[in-house]
Amino acid sequence: MSRNALLWMLWSLLTFVGAGAVFAALYIGGDRTVLLPGQTAGAHHQLEIACETCHTSDPFDSQAAIKKDINKTCTTCHKDELKEADDSHPKKKFTNPRMASYWEKIDGRFCTSCHSEHQPEITLPMMVTLQGDYCVACHSEGDQDIRKDRESHANLTFDTCASSGCHNYHDNRALYEDFLVKHAGAPWLMDEPVVAAAALPQLPRASSTEEIETYLASLDAPVQDDEIAHDWAGTAHAAADVTCTSCHAPEEQAWNDHPEEGICSDCHKPAAKSFSLGRHGMRQHSKISKPRDAGKQLKSLGWKDAPEGLVTALNAYLNDPAPPPMMSTDEALVDLSDDAHGQGMTCTSCHSPHKEEPQQTAVTACLSCHNDDHSQSYEESPHFALWQAETTGNALAGTGVTCATCHMPQSEKKGFAVTNHNQNDNLRPNEKMIRSVCLDCHGLGFAIDALADPALIANNFKGQPSRHIESIDWATSRVEPSDQGANQ
Amino acid sequence: MTSYGTKIKAVLLCGAMAFSGATAVHAEMEEQEVADLLHLVMSSDRTVYTRMIVNRLAVKEKVITASEHFEDEKALVLPAQMFRFGAEMVAEETDAFSYSLLSLWPINKQNAPATDLEKEGLQYLVDNPGENFYGEEELGGQNYFTAFYADVAVAEACTSCHNDHKDSPKTDFEGGDVMGGVVIRIPVE
Repeated sequence: MSRNALLWMLWSLLTFVGAGAVFAALYIGGDRTVLLPGQTAGAHHQLEIACETCHTSDPFDSQAAIKKDINKTCTTCHKDELKEADDSHPKKKFTNPRMASYWEKIDGRFCTSCHSEHQPEITLPMMVTLQGDYCVACHSEGDQDIRKDRESHANLTFDTCASSGCHNYHDNRALYEDFLVKHAGAPWLMDEPVVAAAALPQLPRASSTEEIETYLASLDAPVQDDEIAHDWAGTAHAAADVTCTSCHAPEEQAWNDHPEEGICSDCHKPAAKSFSLGRHGMRQHSKISKPRDAGKQLKSLGWKDAPEGLVTALNAYLNDPAPPPMMSTDEALVDLSDDAHGQGMTCTSCHSPHKEEPQQTAVTACLSCHNDDHSQSYEESPHFALWQAETTGNALAGTGVTCATCHMPQSEKKGFAVTNHNQNDNLRPNEKMIRSVCLDCHGLGFAIDALADPALIANNFKGQPSRHIESIDWATSRVEPSDQGANQ
Repeated sequence: MTSYGTKIKAVLLCGAMAFSGATAVHAEMEEQEVADLLHLVMSSDRTVYTRMIVNRLAVKEKVITASEHFEDEKALVLPAQMFRFGAEMVAEETDAFSYSLLSLWPINKQNAPATDLEKEGLQYLVDNPGENFYGEEELGGQNYFTAFYADVAVAEACTSCHNDHKDSPKTDFEGGDVMGGVVIRIPVE
């Protein structure tokens, strides 16, 4: 056999093996990290090796089916927040066939029309992959031409619609015209600024040393660690009769010094759910895909009766890598302090298991990791001064403002405060924070101006806004008499 | 409102189409009949909500207001929103038909005519009170049988709200006027 023939055979063999390896990794199992077409955006890096979280279509499905399936998976995680946002551009607004001419401009039926994954080079904040003037596509012609419809908008450019603090594509709960009119003229700070939910009554618990000693003495079980017992006796756990064994030896199981997170979430279900929706806890989201099963993959490729031995071998040698069970500070894409690395994100990252420490959970835990200007300026801010006054008993409950006050806002449920453990829920666009947080203490005009001032955000609101957003002025100028709503 | 106009048009259409093929006539009549019946349900529910809920409680008895921002204002849903929410819920369940409420004088500009047939149909309803309008159009690569039905001011709440609204292009509506139209689309081959 000639050398050329041998080389051809070798080339063919290598090509066959290489193609087979790629095919197997794509459609049966194995690590596909090298096949990622481009870095994922935002927090999606936490689940990017679990491809089937978003790519749910069967092999060789049509492009239309793949597009439809991918877009369904967006709402797997983001459906509730869109509903909560009273989405201004929901999919249902675009499905009517009369909107067909708009589909050719920006197809509002699909999330991916504006949020295309794996394209880091064109990805803007909030994972937008269109140019910043995307509003021009639908609001610049005919009856929809906003420059003709609103005198105040005549000379505006479309790159400022969603970047100036006036409008958002999805969430305009604090920005719609009637709301602006209703809250026009509000003072920058209310007469008695209090975060309403934080001022709600708490479960009664032993607070003084005497009360705690009396309570501990009344217990049947022997105290194993005086310090821990003393701490625990002053908590809501003790008040609710959640004892040592409730967490360390539940249901008569053997004692466990270090209970897993499931023990917490067994009782704190809403907190666990909201935690799994934020960047701290999204690794625990129930919809992140599990490693593929080779048997099911072969079946989807048309091989229904694959030998069990082959399936076992494929599962053993072509096993999908699963994302780690929790987020680690090592993987964070935001600015963290040097000391923060190598930490997992669990309940006890912020909550002491035996002691209630509001300062730790609402401030110290955050600042022990986050090293950006806004975070590091907090302890110089008026908000922190208010928190200090509250914790030292010099101000009423609910008057202090911590990191958690704004980023993990509380709401009232059955008379008690419930904390949203998704710290990203109201973060982007930051106007989402206005109604959930700012308006408890501040007027709408101040809140809009402050959140549109990057320098003020960076110094953690130490001072007054240097920018003024004219949206309230423009809205009120269209209303005569002044008490008439704009769109009633 | 639809009975005489519909029947006369149906007879004329049958006569005209008899020369071009019975199957086509049958198909078109089926779609028109379906659209007419759907509209009967829609317009009845819409009238009941407008007269017995909004007009009674917000205009006559003044015990509650109706507002576009009904959640924030703790108010009644506007009749036009009530209609749209129903249309959106239907759209989530089926694509066998779709419907919308449009006008040549919409407060919300999204409800202005967007296709050539919508412009023609809405104008026809205004020019020919008591009549419906039917046509076919291609949208997004799909053919549709499209039916237009007049949306008439059935209560004071309709005219007062539209006449007083600062974004309303027309402010002299009177009871019984055609204010817009219900448009029903059924995909066809």
